[in-house]
Amino acid sequence: MALISLQTVFIAFFGIAAIGFGIWVFRTSSMMRSALALLFSQTALGAMFLAMQAEFLGVLQIMMMATEMSIMAIFMVMFMMDPGGLGAMEMSHQKRLSILAGVAGALATAGIALFTQWGVVVTSAPAAAEQTRALGTELLGRSMLIFETAGVTILTAMIAATAVALPTLQRKRNA
Amino acid sequence: MNTLVIVLSLLAGAYLVAVLEAWLATGRFRLAAPAWAAVALLGRESIVPRTPDRIFFETAPVLLLIAALLAAAVLPLSPSMVMANLATGALFVNAALAYVLVALLMAGWGSDSAYALVGGWRFLGQVIAYSMLIVMPITAVAMRAESLLTTDIVSSQEAVWNILYQPIGFVLFFVASMAVAFLPPFDLPIAVGDLAGGVEAEYTGVRLAVFRLGRMVLVITLAAATTVFYLGGWMGPVLPPWAWSAIKILAVSAAMLLGGYTLPRIREAHLLAWCWKLGIPLALINLFIVGVMVLIWP
Repeated sequence: MALISLQTVFIAFFGIAAIGFGIWVFRTSSMMRSALALLFSQTALGAMFLAMQAEFLGVLQIMMMATEMSIMAIFMVMFMMDPGGLGAMEMSHQKRLSILAGVAGALATAGIALFTQWGVVVTSAPAAAEQTRALGTELLGRSMLIFETAGVTILTAMIAATAVALPTLQRKRNA
Repeated sequence: MNTLVIVLSLLAGAYLVAVLEAWLATGRFRLAAPAWAAVALLGRESIVPRTPDRIFFETAPVLLLIAALLAAAVLPLSPSMVMANLATGALFVNAALAYVLVALLMAGWGSDSAYALVGGWRFLGQVIAYSMLIVMPITAVAMRAESLLTTDIVSSQEAVWNILYQPIGFVLFFVASMAVAFLPPFDLPIAVGDLAGGVEAEYTGVRLAVFRLGRMVLVITLAAATTVFYLGGWMGPVLPPWAWSAIKILAVSAAMLLGGYTLPRIREAHLLAWCWKLGIPLALINLFIVGVMVLIWP
């Protein structure tokens, strides 16, 4: 019982941290702070997975977000006219609509969490190594088509983006 | 107890790496050189640049040190001497090393200086070059061990060490490790000649001391990872397991330092081209070869 309550404390702590960093994303005008706040929000989510004894998912989340959010940071700095946020730029727009959408989204999520019949909830998580194996079997079995489709789509987008960024023959001639 | 012993050995290792680096830089072997350098740094005023991003500026050196220590936490020095033997150990090493990038970006941005900023972004490009060459060789190592537990990875090398079983993977991982620790010729983010210290440029005093310590621990951690993944970890005759680990880790760190010191610094574009056009195909070939070999001769 004591262990469960400690686990709950950790889950709550990291959950609140994730929300806190999430709020900070929009409270700052610096693109770098915004990107890294999002990174630490996601890292806190990874820590929540760890607290819920989903070791592989937690470590994966913590790993992936570090590089992804850092790469996003350079794009945010490149595309914003005031990346340092020194001009006291307004970071939000369409306020009423976004507040409404946010509240509706939060209520819907809470509703799904509360009113869904989740079935039997396992009382103890399987061992970490067993979870990794089960995840691998899942990815190579039932979910293979979904993940392969997503993977190939992302690869196509990457190749297309690179092709668009390369100078064309015409531009090379003009240069 | 284990944790204390491992942290102390890491610090001792980092000290020896600093001695070696000073020896290479000055041509004189002085065992006390890093101690004096540390005393000098701690005694010096720690200047904060004008209008820094204070949170990033202060966090960066500490985050670098923490990332290196966390990666070391799952690497065993002997069958029982490991801080946390996680079921996802090999993946965890990657996860911790990813925060080296975050630390350097923070240092680059937080200093509010052009050279530091360029250094930070340079490292982002460097990560895009080397990251696959860390992940894919580790995948091949885990394939042979059929486990992500670092102790299982060492045990899987009982018959033949991975350096012989998957030599391509070893070479790729070794070179990529040098890039992770931004050792020459991959020292693009600090680039003493052209960036005047880059991400380190604005750091002085105790903050610089922590930054340098973090980097030295990172070198030792990466050498430990190379030892665990490719050199049979603690295995060896006569001497106790921890001694073999220590010898191998120090030898790998020395090789990392010596390997690049005589080479000119690589250009960012060339690094990316080499890694993506040669490194990643080789890593894929390595995965394929290891996959076939695991079926024939595990």
